[in-house]
Amino acid sequence: MSTEVARGEVALSKTAHAAERPGSAARRSRDNRAGLAFAAPFLALFLAFLVWPIAHGVYLSFTGQTLTGAGGSWVGLSNYTEAFADPVMWRSLANTALFTVMSTVPLVLVALAMALLVNLGIPGQWLWRLSFFMPFLLASTVVALFWTWMYNPQLGLVNWLLAPLGIDPVAWLQDERWAMTAVVVTTLWWTVGFNFLLYLAALQNIPEQQYEAAAIDGAGPWRQLFSITIPQLGPTTVLIVILQVIASLKVFDQIYMMTNGGPNGVTRPVVQYIFEAGFTGYRFGYSAAISYVFFALIIVVSLVQLRITARRSA
Amino acid sequence: MDRASTSPSTASAAGGISRRQVLLGGLALVGGTVLGPALTSCSPSPSATGTPVRYWHPLSGGDGITMADLVESINDEHGFAAEQTVLTWGTPYYTKLAMASAGGRAPDVAVMHASRIPGYAPGGLLDPWDTDLLAELGVTEADFPAAVWEKGIVDGKLYSLALDSHPFILMYNTDVAEQAGALGDDGLLQDITSPEEFLDVARRMQEVTGKHGVSYGYLGDGAQMWRLFYTLYLQMGAEMTLDGDTVSLDEQAAVTALEFMTQMLDGTVAASTGDYGTAVAEFLNGESGMFLTGVWELPTLAASGMAFDARTIPTLYGTDAVYGDSHAFVLPHQDDPDEEQRRETYRFVSEILKGSIVWAGAGHIPAYQPIVESPAYDDLLPQAHYADATANLNYDPEAWFSGSGSDFQGYFAENIQNVLLGQTDPAVGLRGFVDRLNSILAKPNPVTGT
Repeated sequence: MSTEVARGEVALSKTAHAAERPGSAARRSRDNRAGLAFAAPFLALFLAFLVWPIAHGVYLSFTGQTLTGAGGSWVGLSNYTEAFADPVMWRSLANTALFTVMSTVPLVLVALAMALLVNLGIPGQWLWRLSFFMPFLLASTVVALFWTWMYNPQLGLVNWLLAPLGIDPVAWLQDERWAMTAVVVTTLWWTVGFNFLLYLAALQNIPEQQYEAAAIDGAGPWRQLFSITIPQLGPTTVLIVILQVIASLKVFDQIYMMTNGGPNGVTRPVVQYIFEAGFTGYRFGYSAAISYVFFALIIVVSLVQLRITARRSA
Repeated sequence: MDRASTSPSTASAAGGISRRQVLLGGLALVGGTVLGPALTSCSPSPSATGTPVRYWHPLSGGDGITMADLVESINDEHGFAAEQTVLTWGTPYYTKLAMASAGGRAPDVAVMHASRIPGYAPGGLLDPWDTDLLAELGVTEADFPAAVWEKGIVDGKLYSLALDSHPFILMYNTDVAEQAGALGDDGLLQDITSPEEFLDVARRMQEVTGKHGVSYGYLGDGAQMWRLFYTLYLQMGAEMTLDGDTVSLDEQAAVTALEFMTQMLDGTVAASTGDYGTAVAEFLNGESGMFLTGVWELPTLAASGMAFDARTIPTLYGTDAVYGDSHAFVLPHQDDPDEEQRRETYRFVSEILKGSIVWAGAGHIPAYQPIVESPAYDDLLPQAHYADATANLNYDPEAWFSGSGSDFQGYFAENIQNVLLGQTDPAVGLRGFVDRLNSILAKPNPVTGT
């Protein structure tokens, strides 16, 4: 879904550029009509599957609607007041925030390190590229299943590897102290390949002349890295951080399958709480209200991000 | 792969449009992707009259194979064309069933756990059985154990018709038990009547296996934790109800049960950190002498060829009681049921009940008594050794959120797992569980809207 939307944005901006070309008014209106016709299939889906559910969800959040159809009456703000007083909602929001921070940082840094290493020009670059990217192609169910086995406290590979180092078996997914870290490590292994690929592409777009010029001026490899490579990767880093924060805030699949939010709720993300409130707790109205609390917080995060990046690029 | 193909469309997006646009797009995208799936509902495909009996169930593994065989043989013998749809057990199954019923275009018949009926029947998600029509087909109240039949009744109407009861039981490795001197003259496990005696038997078996005495997998599995806890709790003659504004439970008995469980999970008597799969593997490999599990594990053990037997959970605290549940047939709510199709569905269900000796092969105790009373069942071992469990079977405390695979068991896991891992005091863990239940009881019941 995310790539479709992104492509839609590109398509819209291209038609906008087309309309700015010099030409007669008739030509322009014909272009506009053609543009609309091209955009129509997307707009129809966008209205049916994004705009309408969002609007209907706002309405639901002000009702006591349940799965069985009971309690569909208007309840005003009571779902919201309940949500603000609900410790489980705040805990799951905090878990989502924690996961986002714990996953975004390594997902950016490890991807960069991997891309820099591959870009050194070591032989068999295609093999590295393939192996780093391959996990990203796996379904979340597959990833969750075999990492759950690897984390198994009695039979798992992880404890088996740690045993020679004198580390006692750890119940990775069942111990409150380790569960979130274990999920983050799995997520890192699974999705770092995508960021790696973006970085690698950006690295290969840095003009060779800059390095030559720097070398002539006597800059060593580290100086080149910090003065040329990393600044040149700036726009890509911004893009990766944005995509990564969005992806991490949405986290659900792997946590649902690996820990189901446990132990003792320490890994339950807010999206899972929304699911539980609505589909196993039957309370659609309340579930919708939590969705919009979460939505509001995401808007705040996005505005802050926008501010920071706008200031930096100004 | 050349360079161009390694940079996907996102890279060109970064060059072609401004960062601000990317951010705004990202904002819209977050809103859509986060909220879209949570708020849109899906509906099942519409039904058409004259279609085969559509039958949903969550039975997989050994259970699934046995059920598939049963459906196939009934289709062949009685000219049905029932189509089974198998869905993943637990939350995925129950949410799909609820959604299908809420839409009024549900399958003709489905299997539910009897303990889940209070979360479905009062909200109109199920249609009641017509007992006259059932009687016409040879299925009457007299054919079922009283407690099992009554479990299906809500507000005087029968909403679920039990296929079986499946209690939590004790399996034991007969070779290990013999070497540990724990077999009686009849070749069955010796009588065990107190917690100390149970631990003693387990320790003797541990000396034989060299690893553990009992296998009990519970990590990440609220159902397993609840099954043993509730069995022990009930054996103290304690009760638990959820029909008031707050939970009614005997705290002292609950703490005693939890303390016994932690005592057992000491790394010698039983593994301190074992999940379900590990426990099965351990018992199968002869690394323990006893195995606390449900009857459904029987086919796996039988297929392994190991020497084992089974019995009801020994009464450790004076009162005979075991946790159990029933697979039960329900009629998910249809807005406009076709009379012919309904009749066909009744006929199909009655034939399954009458053929449920096959189902007993999967370990479950058939609910339809003519089967259990037949000589063929007496010959079925070890099933016949635990058939008495039905008499002391206890379902979950009734509430819209309790039952097998429910959130209730999840809340139990959230608060009790740390107790079993030795990280939290039993009384503290129990308090957390009770508080969680009280906070749900304080909110309106979403099934009835009251």
